[in-house]
Amino acid sequence: MMKGLGASDGYGIGRVMLISEKNLEYTPKEIADVEAELERFRASVKTFTAETLAQAQTVRETVGEKEAKILEGHISIIDDDFMRGEIENLISAHQCAESAVEQMCQMFIDMFMASGDELTMQRAADVRDVRDSMLSILLGVNEVKISDAPAGTVLVVKELTPSMTAGIKKDNIVGIVTETGSQTSHSAILARAMEIPAVLSVPKALAQLSTGEQVIVDGFNGDVVTAPTPEVIEEYTAKRDTYLREKRELELYRGKPTVSASGEVYELCCNIGTPKDAGKAMEKDGEGVGLFRTEFLFMDRATLPTEDEQFDAYKTAAVVLKGKPLIIRTLDIGGDKEIPYLGLEKEENPFMGFRAIRYCLKNRDMFKSQIKAILRASAFGDVRIMFPLITAVEELREGKALVEEAKSDLRASGIEFNENIPVGVMTETSASGVIADLLAKEADFFSIGTNDLTGYTMACDRGNSNVGYLYSPFQPSVLRLIKSIIENGVKAGIPVGMCGEAAANPMMIPLLMSFGLTEFSVSAVSVLKVRKNIAKWTKAEADEVAAKVMAMATEKEITDYLKTVI
Amino acid sequence: MVSKKVTLVNAQGFHMRPADDFVNAVKKFPCKVTMMHNGKSVNLMNKMFIIASAIKCGQEVEIICDGPEEEAALAELTGMIENGFGE
Repeated sequence: MMKGLGASDGYGIGRVMLISEKNLEYTPKEIADVEAELERFRASVKTFTAETLAQAQTVRETVGEKEAKILEGHISIIDDDFMRGEIENLISAHQCAESAVEQMCQMFIDMFMASGDELTMQRAADVRDVRDSMLSILLGVNEVKISDAPAGTVLVVKELTPSMTAGIKKDNIVGIVTETGSQTSHSAILARAMEIPAVLSVPKALAQLSTGEQVIVDGFNGDVVTAPTPEVIEEYTAKRDTYLREKRELELYRGKPTVSASGEVYELCCNIGTPKDAGKAMEKDGEGVGLFRTEFLFMDRATLPTEDEQFDAYKTAAVVLKGKPLIIRTLDIGGDKEIPYLGLEKEENPFMGFRAIRYCLKNRDMFKSQIKAILRASAFGDVRIMFPLITAVEELREGKALVEEAKSDLRASGIEFNENIPVGVMTETSASGVIADLLAKEADFFSIGTNDLTGYTMACDRGNSNVGYLYSPFQPSVLRLIKSIIENGVKAGIPVGMCGEAAANPMMIPLLMSFGLTEFSVSAVSVLKVRKNIAKWTKAEADEVAAKVMAMATEKEITDYLKTVI
Repeated sequence: MVSKKVTLVNAQGFHMRPADDFVNAVKKFPCKVTMMHNGKSVNLMNKMFIIASAIKCGQEVEIICDGPEEEAALAELTGMIENGFGE
């Protein structure tokens, strides 16, 4: 068995085809006939353009528009006034076309690699792809024919390049193994776009595998199983068939509203941690963002982020969401999340200590700059503010007063924002659950954070193996709090969401529907699964299940029962 | 001379296509165009230099236009960035 990075979901069972690197070696020589060499270079650009256009057309049909555009972008790397001019200058100085092309490409590869930015460094792969294609044409080296791969082929390559994908017949290639690449590399993006299971970064894959041998590619955990026994093949065949069936079923829910079997409509949003994730939430069919954690802005740096820096991040997410809701949670620091430059004292009991809203209300300048940044972003979308760890009404009042102060500052400076920005409470403490009726009168929405709510209510640390067994959102105490929070919110006429992990749990879903939850906020990958699970239940069925569950006395009884109904 | 600071809003930042579109738009105008990022001037001769500058989503650049049609150039170029290059 070989281990790599699972980068494209699925299981592939097939036979290896090694794609060895082409031999692109040449001896640089001094050119006497400059005109002829220039002609040779121009001809190679023409050939490259024609070949790449043809490849792009194939990719457009088999993979997608985005990937075809990547290939077309390759043409403009070389067929560009500046680039051609520089290469022709080198040739005019008697350099051969091969070395002129390589020198210019290498300059940009080096610049990209020196940027230290992951995305930019990956663009170097495009330039390498162009360089290799140009050199192949100039040297007359034939391309390896991936298009000849028979059905059931597992491609093993150093790196999957955009130009290579043109040759891939989706029906014939069941898996991809590469020696290089990360989750965000071209290899990964292309494999995912083609929905071919892929394992990247397998060291020495080309040397260890040989063409024709049978392998299994597990794109989930990054395993490449060599010499599989019939039992193992049978096991993976079953896994693959189940995975493909479930995937087909989930796709039916893409682009559809989130509706119960009896017609109740719910909002299904995503939890995100960076503005970039907002794009992922949209891609995965989320209907908005129910929790934007802002800690990333404050971590891994030496000083506080400025208001402008924060504004940029919040605005970016708002713009990407195009008017869909964006709930931004104010800084949730302390507890297990440390930020050295804030100089927080070590506490005996950090989860009971100086964290989240408590810290923010004591550090008003910092808090106000975050609130102002959020308010400014509210001019660009449906932005809402959420305070974490509320345990008493005063905290909500103080927070809201600060929002009003921030508003009048912005008004005075003539900066635009949404005057009616909703301000809500993340109900994640037992206290907030018990006083949900009082909070509901003054909050514009609730969002239940089940992870902390469970920990605080059960007074247990999920990571402590001696008491971890107590940690379950299906404890009768936690369920009662959840029910009370939702019902009090509904009674006050405010929306109630859940942004904890429990919102995606198929056993929790009917209970939440029955209690009256209005919004589910889950990780992007769970969106379609949750939509499917909600569609399964009528309100009456969910009510029946919830009534039974709420009459039960123990967590075990409840989960045993729920397992039988989902 | 006119100038304006704008923030990149598309998730991928200045990648291949936006950089290409941007350089082509710069070439359309007769005025001198400068783009400042992190206190440095970015070479606008070729998209590859823009990509090498690794300007990311959420970061700010300043566009400076000087010469004939400077107002129109500034409006078009900053507009492209503010619209996330149509992404």
